[in-house]
Amino acid sequence: MTTSIAPSATHTKLDIRALNVYYGAFQAIQNASLAVPDHCVMALIGPSGCGKSTFLRALNRMHDLQPGTRVEGKVLLDGSDIYAPGIDAVAIRHRIGMVFQRPNPFPKSIFDNVAYGPRLHGTQDKKTLMEIAERSLRSAALWDEVKDRMDKSALTLSGGQQQRLCIARCLAVDPEVVLMDEPASALDPIATSKIEDLIDGLKDKYTVVIVTHSMQQAARISDFTAFFLMGELVELSTTSEIFTKPKDKRTEDYITGRYG
Amino acid sequence: MDSNLGYAGGAPKARLPLLQRIGTQRVVRFLFGSAATISTLVIVLMLVFLGIYAFPAIRFNGLGILTQSVWNIGDQYGSGHVVRAGITAMQGAQFGGLVFVFGTVVTAFVAMLFAVPLSLLVAVALVYRVPPRLRPLVNAVVELMAGVPSVVYGLWGIVVLVPFIGQRLGPWTTEHLGFLPFLGGPAGSGNGLLASSVLLSLMAMPFMVATIRDVILAQEKSIFEASMALGSTSWQAVTKAVMPSVTNGIFAAVLVALGRALGETMAVLMVCGGAVGIFAQNIFQSVNTIAAVIVSQLESALTDPTGLAQKSLAELALMLFVITLFVNIVARLILHGADRSGEA
Amino acid sequence: MRATTLRNRVSGQFWWAASVVALLLVIAVLVAIFGFVISRGLPALKPSVLFTVTSGTSGGLANAIAGTFLLVICGVVLVTLIGIGTALWMVEFANPSQRRLVRFAIDVLAGVPSIVVGYFLYVALVESLGWGFSLLAGAISLTIIMLPFVVRAADLALSGVPRALRDGAIALGARPATVTFSIAIPWAIPGILTGLLVATGIGLGETAPLIYTAGWSNFMPSLAPTHSPVGYLTYVVWTFISMPFSDSHALAYAAAALLMILIFTLNLVSRTAVDYWVLRTRGG
Repeated sequence: MTTSIAPSATHTKLDIRALNVYYGAFQAIQNASLAVPDHCVMALIGPSGCGKSTFLRALNRMHDLQPGTRVEGKVLLDGSDIYAPGIDAVAIRHRIGMVFQRPNPFPKSIFDNVAYGPRLHGTQDKKTLMEIAERSLRSAALWDEVKDRMDKSALTLSGGQQQRLCIARCLAVDPEVVLMDEPASALDPIATSKIEDLIDGLKDKYTVVIVTHSMQQAARISDFTAFFLMGELVELSTTSEIFTKPKDKRTEDYITGRYG
Repeated sequence: MDSNLGYAGGAPKARLPLLQRIGTQRVVRFLFGSAATISTLVIVLMLVFLGIYAFPAIRFNGLGILTQSVWNIGDQYGSGHVVRAGITAMQGAQFGGLVFVFGTVVTAFVAMLFAVPLSLLVAVALVYRVPPRLRPLVNAVVELMAGVPSVVYGLWGIVVLVPFIGQRLGPWTTEHLGFLPFLGGPAGSGNGLLASSVLLSLMAMPFMVATIRDVILAQEKSIFEASMALGSTSWQAVTKAVMPSVTNGIFAAVLVALGRALGETMAVLMVCGGAVGIFAQNIFQSVNTIAAVIVSQLESALTDPTGLAQKSLAELALMLFVITLFVNIVARLILHGADRSGEA
Repeated sequence: MRATTLRNRVSGQFWWAASVVALLLVIAVLVAIFGFVISRGLPALKPSVLFTVTSGTSGGLANAIAGTFLLVICGVVLVTLIGIGTALWMVEFANPSQRRLVRFAIDVLAGVPSIVVGYFLYVALVESLGWGFSLLAGAISLTIIMLPFVVRAADLALSGVPRALRDGAIALGARPATVTFSIAIPWAIPGILTGLLVATGIGLGETAPLIYTAGWSNFMPSLAPTHSPVGYLTYVVWTFISMPFSDSHALAYAAAALLMILIFTLNLVSRTAVDYWVLRTRGG
């Protein structure tokens, strides 16, 4: 396993050490270690079934919801292990948010969708909620399209708009890290490029880890890229390096299309 | 024969000449169509028949069927007749159904008061708390409960529930909680409003639990996950994200269960106490429902030579029909309203 | 924000616990009722009881068993013909608005209380047509009550036949009725069967409509369709528990236990046998 740790240009936001994930007896992630710098976009690539989504979900303790799944290792957020005993998973999810592959807006109004998270955390004042909503929707590049229809059902939006709404909803709780699990794979090319543009704008405020099955997408939007194969983290470098001078033969094979 | 281009497959089965002439297709179509016609007509026939039969009673009773509380088939042994709106009845005949309407509504309402929150909790437990391996078993148990006959609930009611209310629960409640409205008053035999409502809610629950469970399961699992990813607790995810997205289904389930509770006969008949002319002031007093009274009053109604008593019972049946029809229509409207607004 | 999270967690855990308690409560009640009926009824189900008729306040259940048997069988036969025929018409031959009309009528019928059905038939068949309390009237009342369940189950089952299967048959030149009999019905049989078994369970447990149509008889039922009342198990449960004799009570428990056993078995069969059939004929 050739791992070149990403150059620490800035502080490390997420430090994953020796992560192992088991689905029952099956080991889905083997001893993966990886450091995500602050304010960057890191892409996780690899063929189907290589474990990249499993890895991603370990970062906000989504595996806690699946009985029979076991996570070993450490995930340090700003130096503190999120899996330490006594740490509240719910509180972690305030700081590490997630956007899913298929848009899953609640069957409520657009406003209620975005306000859902803040409301959970105690904000009830309508004016504050509106401000949060506008800010989040702007960051998600959706504000102009929905500002006049905030109380219409979110289900009236197109697929691409729904996904941007889900991103806005995620941003509304003001996380530090945004995890994205193939956010554009269910969308058409135009909607996809809108999402990619907005991801680029996110790294000023947030740290983004994005799983993608498209190498072109990874090359377009990410600063660092990690290549996974059969549960193993094979290589990690800056995006330009991994695509032009991959160090591991397996990485090279994948990138040149020999499998995947 | 050969000119009939549609007839593929060689020679027809020459069993009946009739079939051969008309063509199997049309016979089959006719038979099935008749079946469908029968199914559709049953409900119409019922309405029309009961309506015509009960008509003299409707005219005689007028609004009294709803406003009067005395049910009296009249003086059978006297020779006096009374005529009202052109209908002859025995002297003193008075068919007031207010007590029964009251009983029907109150028992169903109290039953729902118990059953709805419980059903929601149980359905949520079924979906989220039962280990996958136990699920088929628990679901089977719920279905079995739905299959228990009304009389068996009534049997258990008479032998176990009523004495329990009359001798243990009632006195205890009156002593410790009697200051609360509707809970004071002597427990009596135990037959009455509480017993009826408990049985009704037991009968309503399996259906509601199964339907609410199905409706939650049909909902996208991602709604739950999305809420969790936003930092909610699992209970918050269920109550604030999943449930609100299926309210229409839940509402419809509750209304259908209500409709059934309103029409439930045997179990209530066995434990209600058969009130005639009184309105229960607390949960321990006797009540009577329309369905129960139709059964309990049949024998005495048969002694009425004018037949008006029987026709008034038919009028009650018609009323019950209309009430349950109304509840069911509201349920369907709610379901259709959901389809239009794009909710699951 | 820490405080609200803690409060939410605690209240969440409370409610989860409450939901499990509610589930256990419901299961406990069912077990209690089942246990109650079986523990008192099983001892009373001596073989002699199965073969003697009721007589006044005690005796046996032979007439009631035979009556229930006859009533339910006749009802199921009728409902199979009419209910499945209706569903077949709806799915295979009707146009959308006809389908909606029949579905609506069936939905309305589903909501009618069984006592109303009983009283209607009492007025129409027992009195007006002069049939008196009879097997046929009783069977018809059961048919009407079972009809919506059967039609809905058959409707669902037939609608679930894969398009590809039908298209394949049509492409080979099969006409509508042929497709129906050779493709659709065989595929839909598990669903239809389940519907019929569920409906039978319901028919077994009905009382109110039978009081008004089948009446009651202390004798073994004759096979005469009219002018001859018929006894049935649910009637025994209802009336015999109110008599002041322990012999009568024993009979009531016995009848109730028998009913529960029958219904339980039906349930079991409909789950396991149907699933087994589907597994064997379709590979799941």
